[in-house]
Amino acid sequence: MAMACFDRASPALKKTLLELHSAEKPVEIDQHIHEFNAVRYHIQSSDSEPFLAHLSISTPLLSEEFSRSHGLSFDAAQMIRDIHTDDAIEIVEPAKEGYQLTLRIHLSKIPRRKESVKIIAQISTVLAVLLSSQLKEMLRTMNFTSKEQVHAVMHKPIRLVYQQREPFFVIRQPTKITAVFPMRFKEDSDVIIATAFFQELMDVGSREGWAKAPPCTWSPIPPPELRGELLEDLSTNCGFVSFDITARHIKGKKLDKMVWSLLNFHAFVKHHVKCTRGFIQRRMRKRLDNLIEILRNKGGPEEEEDEPNNEPGGCGCMRSLAGTSRSKATLERRRRSLFSNKIRYSIKVRGWVRFRHRLSKISKFSPRLRYPKLD
Amino acid sequence: MASTLRLYSTCIRNTLEAAMCLQNFPCQEVERHNKPEVELKTSPELILNPVLICRNEAEKCLIETSINSLRISLKVKQADELENILTKKFLRFLSMRAEAFQVLRRKPVPGYDISFLITNYHCEDMQKGKLIDFIIQFMEDIDKEISELKMSVNTRGRLVAAEFLKQFI
Repeated sequence: MAMACFDRASPALKKTLLELHSAEKPVEIDQHIHEFNAVRYHIQSSDSEPFLAHLSISTPLLSEEFSRSHGLSFDAAQMIRDIHTDDAIEIVEPAKEGYQLTLRIHLSKIPRRKESVKIIAQISTVLAVLLSSQLKEMLRTMNFTSKEQVHAVMHKPIRLVYQQREPFFVIRQPTKITAVFPMRFKEDSDVIIATAFFQELMDVGSREGWAKAPPCTWSPIPPPELRGELLEDLSTNCGFVSFDITARHIKGKKLDKMVWSLLNFHAFVKHHVKCTRGFIQRRMRKRLDNLIEILRNKGGPEEEEDEPNNEPGGCGCMRSLAGTSRSKATLERRRRSLFSNKIRYSIKVRGWVRFRHRLSKISKFSPRLRYPKLD
Repeated sequence: MASTLRLYSTCIRNTLEAAMCLQNFPCQEVERHNKPEVELKTSPELILNPVLICRNEAEKCLIETSINSLRISLKVKQADELENILTKKFLRFLSMRAEAFQVLRRKPVPGYDISFLITNYHCEDMQKGKLIDFIIQFMEDIDKEISELKMSVNTRGRLVAAEFLKQFI
């Protein structure tokens, strides 16, 4: 997943922080950045405190019902502090009004070398950390319940929204957690390409070598666990993709990868569909050229032997069609047949010899067929 | 080449060779007009009986002939939804660039996927045999291209799926 669109760091935030950090003189800045999915950043830095910057973040919560009513969870706060261990980041309590999190960035504690790019890139991932922490917390709390607790827990699906209008569900089950993605596409062709992809995903996942990967299933109808959910969430045109996550899949470092993959699954599929459409377009364009080439080749070697340099002018396709025209040799033969010996001796015309002499001079003249192409 | 496809192509080739005896013929209804009669169908005496050649229910070729023009319509095999969209996309792509082929019709005849219109002027400008060769090759290439595209899309899907699942291992 080394594609730029799945990068955890926000490019706009990274650029602004790098500019702020590398500025020779103290810069006063008060900048708002709006990103997709209703994410807002507010960066402030003043002349009075040249080595300090305040970064405030506002993002919609993944799940209203699961998230804490106020404040930042302890795990999330710890994860944000872990971004940089040298105290370059400090969480400001309470956060600025209208924002969920405010960070104080000590620019002086960020070294002015190549490392600075890496550290600032890490700071720019704060949103990904914030959102991942919510899902991580959910998976953790859902996972380590004992058998008795499992029966006590209501198996109600939790609706999560990472990208607007594309919610997904996490459902606790006795031995696993199921993540269900309702898939929707605007165009019919996208639906078919995505369906082919989901079938391949199921096939690959069910092979022997992929036993460690979470089993994936695709169904055109909603799974029974989603019964009772809102109709608008269950009305899809490309079915439902489910991943069965067991404790093994979220152990240790795997949890982070799993969370990020689940959050970006919709984007990943859309990216694949878009790339496939581009691939089809490229193939079609190449094929069009081949078909035109066939037409060009239909000119045959006959006229090439007769008049190799007499290539017609004009644009590619028209030149190719002119190539398929009747052989010039045939036309020449017809013209000469008018002046065959029979005619010459059977009909006596006054001044015929002189006319023939003139005609032969004209026939030697080869008109220029190449026309200059107009721009 | 499969034997059924060879028979189908040979049948179309023979029919085209017989049908492609076009001549200049001005419109009988409107003075100083010279239009393809197969399109206008103004005078029934100038139109010949259409010939329908079917390989199977999904693949067929309609050849309509008139005194000064010939219309060839092809229906391409579409086994599943993926082939259906690939065929639609590809033939639409070609139809939009019809000027590159000169004999390709911008809009196919209803019930068919792609249509060609050959007039007596095309026959005068181009060699008849090679024009027929082109139509047959075009027909075979479309089939081949759709099959290859379908395989490529599925292969891409498999590779991407494997790449996605690899991160969990």
